[in-house]
Parts: sequence; C-alpha cells; structure tokens
Amino acid sequence: MSVLKKTLLATAAALLTTTAAHAERGSDGHLNIIYWQASSILNPFLSGGTKDVEASSMVIEPLGRYDEKGNLIPWLAVDIPTVANGGVSEDLKSITWKIQPGIKWSDGSDFTAEDVVFTADYCMHPEGGCQQLTKFADVEKVEALDALTVKVTFSKPKPHPYGPFTGGESPIIQKAQFQDCMGAKAPECTEQNFGPNGTGPFRVTEFRANDVISMEANPNYRDASKPHFATLTFKGGGDAAAAARSVLQTGEFDYAWNLQVDPTVLADMASAGKGQVVSAFGTSVERLMVNLTNPDSALGDQRSTVEGGPHPFLTDAAVRRALSLAIDRQTLSDVGYGEAGQPTCNVLPAPAIFASTANDECLVQNIDLANQILDEAGWAKGGDGIRAKDGVRLSILYQTSTNAVRQDTQALVKQWWGQIGVETELKNIDAAVFFGGDQSSPDTFQKFYADIEMYTNNFNGTDPEKYMSNWTCGEIPSPATNWLGSNMPRYCNEAYDALAAKLAQTSAIDERAAIAKQMNDMLMQEGAMIPLIHRGGVSAHSNTLGGVLMNEWDSELWNVADWHRTN
Amino acid sequence: MFNYTIRRLLFTVPTLLLISFIIFLLLDLAPNDPTGNLPMTITPEVREKIRISLGLGEPIHIRYLLWLQQFFVNEPLNLIEEWWGIQIGDAENRLRVQSWATRSPVVDLVVERMPQTLWVVGMSYVVGILIALPIGIISAYKHYSWFDQIGTFVSMVGFSIPTFLTGTVLIVLFSVLIDSSSPFWLPSIYDTTHRVTDWSSFVVQVKQMAMPVMVLALFNAAQLSRFMRASMLDNLSQDYVRTARAKGMKERVVLLVHVLRNSLIPVVTVIALGVPQVFGGAIITEQIFKVNGLGQLLIIGVQGADIPLVQTLTFIFAVLIVLFNLIADLIYGILDPRIRYD
Amino acid sequence: MTTIAETGGDTAAGAPLVQVQDLEMYFPIYKGVLRRQVGSVRAVDGLSFDIRRGETLGLVGESGCGKSTCGRALLRLYEVTGGRITFEGRDIAELAGNALRDMRPRMQMIFQDPQACLNPRMTVGSIISEPLDEHHVATGEEKRQRVRELLEAVGMNPEFANRYPHEFSGGQRQRIGIARALALAPDFIVCDEPIAALDVSIQAQVVNLLQDLQEKLGLTYLFISHDLSMIRHIADRVAVMYLGKIVELAPVEELFNAPKHPYTKALLSAVPVPDPAVEAKRERIILTGDVPNPANPPAGCRFCTRCPDAIDRCSVEEPVWRNLGPAKGSNGTVEDHFVACHRVE
Repeated sequence: MSVLKKTLLATAAALLTTTAAHAERGSDGHLNIIYWQASSILNPFLSGGTKDVEASSMVIEPLGRYDEKGNLIPWLAVDIPTVANGGVSEDLKSITWKIQPGIKWSDGSDFTAEDVVFTADYCMHPEGGCQQLTKFADVEKVEALDALTVKVTFSKPKPHPYGPFTGGESPIIQKAQFQDCMGAKAPECTEQNFGPNGTGPFRVTEFRANDVISMEANPNYRDASKPHFATLTFKGGGDAAAAARSVLQTGEFDYAWNLQVDPTVLADMASAGKGQVVSAFGTSVERLMVNLTNPDSALGDQRSTVEGGPHPFLTDAAVRRALSLAIDRQTLSDVGYGEAGQPTCNVLPAPAIFASTANDECLVQNIDLANQILDEAGWAKGGDGIRAKDGVRLSILYQTSTNAVRQDTQALVKQWWGQIGVETELKNIDAAVFFGGDQSSPDTFQKFYADIEMYTNNFNGTDPEKYMSNWTCGEIPSPATNWLGSNMPRYCNEAYDALAAKLAQTSAIDERAAIAKQMNDMLMQEGAMIPLIHRGGVSAHSNTLGGVLMNEWDSELWNVADWHRTN
Repeated sequence: MFNYTIRRLLFTVPTLLLISFIIFLLLDLAPNDPTGNLPMTITPEVREKIRISLGLGEPIHIRYLLWLQQFFVNEPLNLIEEWWGIQIGDAENRLRVQSWATRSPVVDLVVERMPQTLWVVGMSYVVGILIALPIGIISAYKHYSWFDQIGTFVSMVGFSIPTFLTGTVLIVLFSVLIDSSSPFWLPSIYDTTHRVTDWSSFVVQVKQMAMPVMVLALFNAAQLSRFMRASMLDNLSQDYVRTARAKGMKERVVLLVHVLRNSLIPVVTVIALGVPQVFGGAIITEQIFKVNGLGQLLIIGVQGADIPLVQTLTFIFAVLIVLFNLIADLIYGILDPRIRYD
Repeated sequence: MTTIAETGGDTAAGAPLVQVQDLEMYFPIYKGVLRRQVGSVRAVDGLSFDIRRGETLGLVGESGCGKSTCGRALLRLYEVTGGRITFEGRDIAELAGNALRDMRPRMQMIFQDPQACLNPRMTVGSIISEPLDEHHVATGEEKRQRVRELLEAVGMNPEFANRYPHEFSGGQRQRIGIARALALAPDFIVCDEPIAALDVSIQAQVVNLLQDLQEKLGLTYLFISHDLSMIRHIADRVAVMYLGKIVELAPVEELFNAPKHPYTKALLSAVPVPDPAVEAKRERIILTGDVPNPANPPAGCRFCTRCPDAIDRCSVEEPVWRNLGPAKGSNGTVEDHFVACHRVE
C-alpha cells in the first residue's frame, strides 16, 4: 500500500469517525458542569443571579444573543433587525423581530410570537417582581403581528432597541406553561419555575434547588444533530477552588464556572494536565469610586449628599490624579486576578470600539510624579508624614465588600498611598449588607459614608448607553430618593448630562462610540472614578471537552449545543 | 411517665412560639437584603419592586403572623392533603412558606435535602458511635495502657483538627493523588441524584459516601469515645462491680452486663441529644464534598438573605432540639430505674 | 478442756478455715508524663492470722489503715502482691480465671455501702439469682424458690424480688446485700463495715441478723469495723490494725479488758462506757500527729511516731509478732494473745 493511499484511508477513517460522532444527537454521552454557586431557580425573571441565568440558558433561549466577540447574532430570530434592513423603524421607536419558522418547544408544541408577547407581559406585570425589568425599559407595547412576527414599540426613540428578548437575561418562556403564573402568582408556580419548557438544546429532568439539575437532550431541538451530549448534570455547591479541582485535578467534571481562585493556585492545578483554564473579558471593571461630597459624620442627615457640601480634598483634581498615579495596577492584577484581570484606566473598557486610549497615563505607576503633583498643588507633608493644606489632612476612609482579593488590593493601595503622604483607613463590609438596599444600614455602597469605595460594575450586552447614564446628575443617591441611584461619586456635570441625552438619540454606531468615549474620558479626567482592573471571567474545562467558546457578553453556556467530547 | 410526657409536650408550645418569635426578630434586625447578591446590572428601582413582591413592604408583626399561619396551619394542612390525597378548603390559594431564592415551598426543599443529610450525616453518626463505643470501653478497661494512650491521642486529634482540613486532605489523597481508574479512587463530589438499584450502584454510593462519612465519623467518634471512657471509668470503680466479681461472674459478664449497661445510660442520652445535629447537617463537610444537604441549604439561605428559608429551617432545628431533649429525658427514665417521672 | 496446742490443730470445730501468711497488698504509684512507677502504697504489709471455722474475727483500726483492703485481698478481689491465703488448705493467693471463679461460691462479701454495691439496673431477684445461673446452682422454678427463701431468711418480703434496689431503705438494701451474699451458701463471709452506713436503730437489727444466720448456717465471718462496741458485741477474737499491719490479736474480752499495745489502749480509751461512774473516771489517751503516709511508713515500729510510750528502740527496730500465751476466749475456750510491741516484754 502506498503512503499516499494510507494517508487517504486514515483521513477518510478520521473523517468518518468525526462525522459519525457528530451526526447523531446525544452520541457523546454525559456532560458534567459545576457551578460552585448552586442554581436556585430556572426562571431568570425571578432570579437575576448569574448562576440561574446561565443554568436556564441551556433550556430557554432569546431571539438574539451575543457571541464570544460581543456581536449580536440571531438566535431564534431569522436575523437581527436594524434600520438598514427595515426591522427597526426610522424614528427608532419600534423594532420588529422575525422568528425562525419550525421552532418547537420541548413539549412538541410550536413556538410562536404569542409566546414572545406573553414573556413581555409576564415580566412587565407590576406585581411580578421581575428581576429583568431593566431589559424592558421604555417598552410601550409588544404585539404579535402574525405567528412569527413580533413588534416591540418603545415610548421614546431607542437607538439601541435590543433590550427585550436578547441575551441570557431575556429568554422566551412558554405561554401555555406560564399563563397562570402572572404577577403575584409568579413565585407560587414552583413546578414551572423549576422546569420551564424551552426551545434550547436541553430539557430538565430533575431540578433540585440549590443543589443539582439533571437534563437530557431536547428531542424537539431545531438541529437534529445537536446537542452532542445525551444527558447533563449541572452541580452546585462548594467553593471556587473545589470546583477548579474537580475539573483540573480529579477530572470528575467537564466544566467549572467562575474560578475566582488565587492565580498561583489555579496555575498549580492546571499543571496536572487534565484540563485548561479559559478566560474572556466583558465590561466588568473593578474601580474606586471617589466621593465628591462630604461624608463627615458631623453633617448628620446631609452626610454624603450634595446638600452636605463638597468633599474637603477629593474635589481637588490634583489629589485624585495623584491617588490614581500611585497605584500599580499590574501588581494588583497579578496578585489578585491572574488571567482574569488586566490593568485599565477606563470605566468603559470594552467592546473595542468604545475603549478610549486617552487616559493611559495611569497604566504605569509613578509615585514620583504623584508626589510632585501634590507638592505643586500645595499639599505639604506634615510631621507625621501625612500631607495637609489649610488644616485639611489627606486622610481617607476606604471601604469595600468582604472578599480576600479586595482586602489584598486594599492593603496594597494603602501602602502606595502611604508613599505619597496619604493616610488610609481600611474597612470591609459583608457583601449582602454592602450591596444590599437596607435603608437602616449605614454601610451600603449607596450611602457611601466613606471617602473611597471599591467594587466592580459592568453592563449587559454591548451597548453602554444605560451604563454611561449612571453618572448623570439625576442618578445621585440621596435621602430624597431613598438612596436609590447609581451615581455613587455624586458626580454632576451639565456637559456630561448633555452627552448622555445625545447618546440616547444617536443611532449610528460610530457616533455612539465617539460619544461614549467622550463620556468615559470626561469621567476619568474629572476623577469621579479611579478604574483599577478590567476583570474577565475565568472558567476551566476538561481536555476532553470541545466546543467551549468562553463568552462574557452572554451566558457562558450559550453554545452548549455545540459542546462535544474530543479524544 | 405518660402524664409527664404530655405535660412536657404542652410546655414546649409556648417555648417554641417564643423561639420562633426571637428568630424572626433577629433575622429582621440583621442588616441583610435578599437583593444584595444580585448582579449590579439590576437597577435599584427594580430591586425595590422585588423587595415589595417578596412581602418586605409589610410591617414585621404582619409578616410574623403570616409566617405563623403558613407554618402552623397551611403546611400541616398541605401535609395531610398529600398523605391522604384529599383536599381541605381552598388549597389553591393557600400559601405555604416560600423561599425567596427558589420561590418554592421551604418544606419541600427540606424534604428533598433529607435523604442525603440522613445518609451521610446520619451514617457518620452511626459509624462514629460504632467506633467510639468499643474504643471508649477498651480504653477505660485497659486504663493507661498503650491502647488507651493511642485512643486518647487519636480522639484529641479527631476533636481538634477541623473537618475542612481532614476533608481536604482526604480529597487530595483519594481523589487527586490516586488515579481515577484505580479501585481505591473516591469521588470528591457527592452526586445527590445517584440511585441505588443494584450491587454496582450500591458500590458507587458507598464510595461517594466514604470520605464525608469518615471525616464526620472521626469527629463524632472523638467526642463520644471520651465520653464513653469517662462513664465506664466512673462505673468500673463502683462497689456493684466488685459485687459482681465476688459473685464469681465471668469478666466478660462483669464488663458487658454490669458495667457497660450502667455506663451507657448517660452515653445514650448524649447520643440522643446529638441527633438534632444530624438533621442540622454538617455545614462545612457538606460544602467540602458538595453533599448539599440541610446544612448547605441553611448556609445558602443565610448568604442569600433568604429569610423564610432560614427562619423555617432554624425553627425546625429548634423543634428537633426541644423534642430530642424530651426524648433523651424519657430514655433516661426508661434506662435508669432510679428515675421516675410523675 | 482444750489445750492451746490442740486448738490450733483441731479440725472439727475450731480448725482454721482461712490462713493468712505474710499477706502483702501494695498499690503502685505512677507519676509524670510517662507514668513511671515511683513507689507504692503499702496498704497491707505482711499480715498473718487464722480464721477458724464458725468464728467471727473482728478487724478494727482507723480509716485508711488497710482493713478493707485486707478483706478484699482475702477474697481475691485484688491481685495480691505477696504472701499466702489458704482456704481450707488450698492456696488461693495465686489462683486466676476459672479456678478462682470456682472458689467464689465458698466465700462472699457484704459491703459497707448497700446502695453502691447493688447494680442499680437489676432487680433484687436478678441480683440474687445471677450467681445461681453463673455457677449452675439452680434454674427455673427452683431458682425462684431459692430467691424467695433467701429474702425470707433475711427478713424481707419475697414479693420484693421484682423491685429495684433504689426502692428500698438502707437497712433493707443491706438485707438484700446479705441475701445476695448467702445465695451461693458460702462458708466464709467478709463483712466490710456492713453497718457503718446505716442508722443506729437499724444497725442492731442487721448485726443480729448476721449473728442468727451464723448460728443457723454455721458461717465464718471476718467482721471489719471501726466501731469497737459493735466488735465487742459480735466478735470472738479481735485483730487491731495500724498502717497496714496487725499490732495486736486477742480474744475479745481479753483485748477489751487487758489491751497490751499502746495503740489498742488509745483506741479503747475513746470508747464511751455505759456506766456513768466508770465513764467519769475514764482517761482518754489522745494521739497526736497524723497517720503517716502508707507509701512511706516510718522505720521501726509503725506506731512510733504517735506512740505515747515510744522509746528509742521503737524507731529503729521493728517489733516482732509475739505470742503472750493463752488467755480466756469466748465460750470458755482458751486462745492465744498476740502483740507486736517492744514495750510489752
């Protein structure tokens, strides 16, 4: 036999086995996924937790979703409606989705526009407590034009009308199953919430809240050759390190999510050779919020409010710039985040077209320059080494949530600020309290009874309009608004508000990008925030699992139908 | 004894009501928010709506009374309906105690968690007892022998080393260092959906229970064997033991019939008092091995500020503790003829 | 008329049932982390005496002098560390296991604390009948009959067999203890302060019961007590113990009327006399100082540290066990009077 013939045969055989392996639904057996935060419900409208959204994303699907690069791609829809293809009206007040024909629910019934309309009604019901209501912001009505066409009308022009029915947070639920679960009844429909019918590649066979979900391939899935796995276990519980171990060391699981583990530990585990660590970056940024109002407790009710007056020293741009320059972001990233972090000087670091490069000064630590800036601004070091001017000492209360990485970061930052003559007092608060909305607690991130606070924020999808409007004057939390609002720095600038309004009316993507960058630069240069780390997601998958495309823009399990066993 | 039992049971009613109110008050006063762990992308306005939909808009006494009604009226009614397959009144609109995070009845979650907790934690309790009693007996009989010294050392080690350390060490030994193809390999993650149907699935069940059970059993045995030993020593020096020897009884009879029976009275009581802990699960061990029993349910409830879940679970534990205190007293009365309740 | 020599050799009535020679019972003392033996408590240190069949030998002494240890060692409830114990001519000091168990029915003990000596979880009936099963003496109806007889013999209602020990008073419990001791029809019973824990009103009843039983069943007693009046009432001969040793052994009247050892004198001087005239003249000998540590007894005579009559020789040389010759015993017999003291020459 000639070499050529041998090679041909081998190739043919290889092709045959590959095709065979991929030709049939369920031919790859069982898939084990571990999320160390266990899923508590499979209805993302009743639980906004990432674990629940992602678990449900294998069962219920949206009309369009984001791929691993952040591109919006049609999912249950035929295409993504745009102004260009006529799907979005010229006045930007309506969007019309065309649904792919032939899609069936896992119970065998047809997927229709009525289901889409029902989903909107379900979430927008005033008594339902829908946790994804933000996705339906400004929606006036949702109607079915025919069995496969849905029209969403907004109350005002929406240059980015892709809130409803896109991404893992806004999937479609079946009307037939949920129609008795509207409003106040929603939480009582345990059976439905634990086992929704879906159009996705898998359907639920057993749901154990906060523990484990068993799924099997959906026999009515639209692609007859998918999913490759016949059954699936979605296990929860334990901690990130144990989840990482189960994939990277013991090989019991195929996929582990959100491995917030000490980077060196993770690298150690990965060296066992059973699996690999994957990461992807979305829009999450760990940042320092700078309190521009005075948090002095002597102010009583006016503490940390605009009425209470400006901050004694953080309103000085020189101080803020010096604080930012004194931080070595690369070290913070290496110590706390490893593959899951990279230094950033922007609060809007992604998608790429929105990322500004105007603020990159802070990427390199420069203590000397920081000292020089403070000297020039008249902040002179006192006998205790702390700078002061006109009787005001540079003494900072720096708070964040309780979390090992954050406390490491706090300690490092405190040390660097000490080198530029700034005194720092550290404080950490339990996450449920810090991020909780308890009006009686003085320790919430909204009340901000501190000079600096640190946490991560991000936005869903790829459009930053809503996110950037967080720092408009109207968003400032105060007793009058029950401390609701997202403008933690209490930043207020008419020019910024004008840009936010302009962004809301601009639809061309390049223009939107330019405006968003401008807003980002404004926030950075006026020092309302000091960004530290662009954070990504870190997961791990077994070496025998193929098809994983780590995605930070949507559910990590967005393409689970394509996952398969490799040998 | 019957009258005594009835009297004690009646007395538990106000006790438990007080306990439930204190738990409710404590949970309400604790600074916590069920929406605190949601992603930042959910806006404050939406959070406020979620809180109202959870019933947090009502004042505390209304919420407490509602919980009382749900737990003491609706839940038992539901239980009766399910057992006898009948329907009493308006079952459709009768609201059971609902967990905020899962939106499902708390009692159903508890029932779902019961098997793995009873299997793993309960088995570890049984294994612990089986290990502890012989060690305690021999240690006391061979007081200060090398066996006693080793037993003392091992129980001190078992008692002082936390389960998260022993658990992790076992995982590294049996799950990581031993290759998964080896028959000695043990899974580090407990599969709660596993069903025992034949011999091989039974072996799998034994394997997955092995590590968590041993970790907990070591801990339980450490405590209990010391107790058994002390009780045995107490009785070994009693005159009635000398009487039994003077009667010419065999040493085995002296030890097992006379000494052991009397020594077991306090030990059995301690064992009974420990049973509620079994139902309480073992938070740390359950987390390490992902057993996801009642302990893990409670900790998730605490972390997620799932107040109805925490309230109900804590209260069930309180009921069990009160109940097993009574049972321990009654067992004492049965075992020790000197105790009479009337 | 029996001679002294004959008394020792007579096997019919006054023959020794138990002979004790140089009995030693040392308890080790451990100290330190490694529990090394650093010494021993000499609870019983070289006792020699006989107990004759049918007699009551009283054993008196202060608390902690080793009386109870001696009693328990005789019955082999301890592993003795030295000496010989001969029961009916058979050395039982070295017996172990089944051989020892086979001897158990012949010798029994009545304990000081009637509460502690009865297993609280067993009924009276089973406490009494347990040894019957163990030694295959009786079964079934015969066994139940025997329990009833025993309870009747100690003056208890036979219906009480199904009750538990805690349901009885102290005196009743001691009767149960006696019934239990009698169950196997022993020859020899060690009564270890059997009345010390009882009310005075009950004490006489129990002592009388013991005397009646002795008469009826021909029992031999070693009666351990610190109550000299009771000893005078019940004993035929009396041995006085001090710090692990017997210092004087004599017939009861002889001992009470003509004590030789200074310690015996001191003990007797503390006993109140019912006659007011005599009582007024009674001179008490007050012993000074504490009882020495039995782990480290004084050299020479053990009593020398507290003896009012001590001379230099006492703290150097241990006095020998000397026979002072015959004295009048109970029931008109003649017994030897032994003492260990340098001052009694």
